[in-house]
Amino acid sequence: MANQTPAERLFTLTCCLLAAPRIGLSKQDIFSSVPGYSEASNDDARDKMFERDKSELRNAGVQLEVVQIDEFEPEVGSRYLIAKGSFEWPADFKLSAEQLGLAELAARAWNNQQFASSARTALARLKSRGMVEVNRELSFLSPRLLARHSAFQPLAQAITESKTVIFEYRIPDGQAEAREVNPLKLRLIEGEWVLLADRQGELRNYLLRRITSKVRETGANFAFKRTDLVEKAEQDLVSHTQANQAVIEVAEDSEAWWHFGASSTEVVLNFMDESLLAEDLLEYGNEIKVISPESLRRRVHTGLERVVSLHA
Amino acid sequence: MPKQEIDAAELYDLSLSIVGLVLSDGDQKIEDLANRFSVSEKVILKAVRAITDSEDLTKCVTHFHLNFDELEDGWVSFARGGTNLEGPPLLSNRQLSSIAIGLDYLASLPQFASNKALSDLRKILKNSGPVPVTAVAASRLGEMLQLIQAAISNQRAINCEYRNQKGEQSNRLIDPLLIELRGRKHYLRGWCHINEEVRSFRLDRIHSVEQTEEPISKEARAAAIPDDVYGSRLDEQVVTLAAQPEATEVFWNFPVALEPTLEKGRWVGRIRVGSLEGLPRHIVRYGGMVEVLEPKKARAMVASFAKEILSDTEPKDEE
Repeated sequence: MANQTPAERLFTLTCCLLAAPRIGLSKQDIFSSVPGYSEASNDDARDKMFERDKSELRNAGVQLEVVQIDEFEPEVGSRYLIAKGSFEWPADFKLSAEQLGLAELAARAWNNQQFASSARTALARLKSRGMVEVNRELSFLSPRLLARHSAFQPLAQAITESKTVIFEYRIPDGQAEAREVNPLKLRLIEGEWVLLADRQGELRNYLLRRITSKVRETGANFAFKRTDLVEKAEQDLVSHTQANQAVIEVAEDSEAWWHFGASSTEVVLNFMDESLLAEDLLEYGNEIKVISPESLRRRVHTGLERVVSLHA
Repeated sequence: MPKQEIDAAELYDLSLSIVGLVLSDGDQKIEDLANRFSVSEKVILKAVRAITDSEDLTKCVTHFHLNFDELEDGWVSFARGGTNLEGPPLLSNRQLSSIAIGLDYLASLPQFASNKALSDLRKILKNSGPVPVTAVAASRLGEMLQLIQAAISNQRAINCEYRNQKGEQSNRLIDPLLIELRGRKHYLRGWCHINEEVRSFRLDRIHSVEQTEEPISKEARAAAIPDDVYGSRLDEQVVTLAAQPEATEVFWNFPVALEPTLEKGRWVGRIRVGSLEGLPRHIVRYGGMVEVLEPKKARAMVASFAKEILSDTEPKDEE
């Protein structure tokens, strides 16, 4: 038989591990079962190949367990198996045509950026759950996500691998300060990328645009099990946004009028972050006027003064 | 999605998905699989080979038995041999995040604001948390999106009023092709009958949209939609900007003439703009985090734009 390609080797490895007895397979068992490993030029190359494959399997979401039979000889005593449940989808898991269409749109939104390949394979897995025609009505829409912040990729990686990171963060009107956090989730809220992270036991939100340094791993790993806290933090952010209200006056029939979907000259807006809202308002110049809160009015005013002095 | 070649990890994943589909729904046409998974037929055949060449040398068992005759006729047909693999594993964290973030994003768009299938899907994928509140009350945008989407699927031209970035208003006949969202702004990509080319129209600058009886033109059908939303113009100008790290996105909103580099804590680079008149508002937006360095004329325009707003907002003496 011709040599196995890496994809073929991974596939055979998966089948062999799934058929393993409850005590798992030793590395030797695996090497003699999977044809691809006998093609390695020497033991060292074979070990490296296996290490790479293990991490590929884990990246693909296959939960590979290592059982230590002999603690004193971990090299010889390790046995491998795939955790029960790794391949078990909920019995009632079935998506409708419209949901598959939406998942496809969500995947396509990545448009060859960081998560595009994960999104494509995720979509293929969803589509393999029984034949449902994808709703094509949505295909005329092509929303494209933009995730160009340099912090995005290292944070996404650190989230996947549960690694602690450190970066400089600057809040509006403040100095940049170092933050060491356990990153949990990246979310897109109101067009802004937000990192939800655990900092010294408290969950905090960080806007990616305010990360002013490179994101570095500290070398530490973390285990975060409190998904209930994540849900609460997300709910808190929504409540926070709902509680923040600004009132603006817009000039009738102006571009701002159209943009803010005004039906009268007074428009009430909810906002997550005051300085982001100030940016949106500044763009419309004198087509809008801030009525309240006073802090927002001042922020818009100070912003304009800064522009003037910077361009004097 | 365009069909593309894929790497080993993706090919492996695809093999698992094909196993799932064939075992649950029976034999599949190679052509249908290629369409379903948005890859070429060649890639499907590679993935099938990974499945049907798989064997355990120690136990001397073949994992899947391929029907070669069917394959020659363009069908993928195999039966399970010595394996208990039934399909792909559950989604990995990264896969889940990729779809969940994409769905979050869709949920924040006005046209999906009250889409039940979407909120159900987000629940199924355990991406808990309600739809984030959008700052912009976009009901008008939602209605217009539906109107334009209907025109796109009926392949009919639309008539509308358009206000360009200089504030000039005109009546346009457009063959609508695609709606795109970039950052926080929706764009209609369509064939403009005035300019006779594919143009991008910001949706919040369009109003009074009407679908006409006119089918979209031959030119529009044949037109390729460029990746870039910005058209190229003969009168464009190059502007040098310096942006604080928080405002780097300013470079993403324009075609870049010179990639920005970090100089003394600010990103300095060059952008191309269609006209200087439209520039000030994009700079003023960042409240002093972005500075125009060159040309001098653009600097002056930014300063006067900001001064004008300031003079309008200064408290006036009571009469």
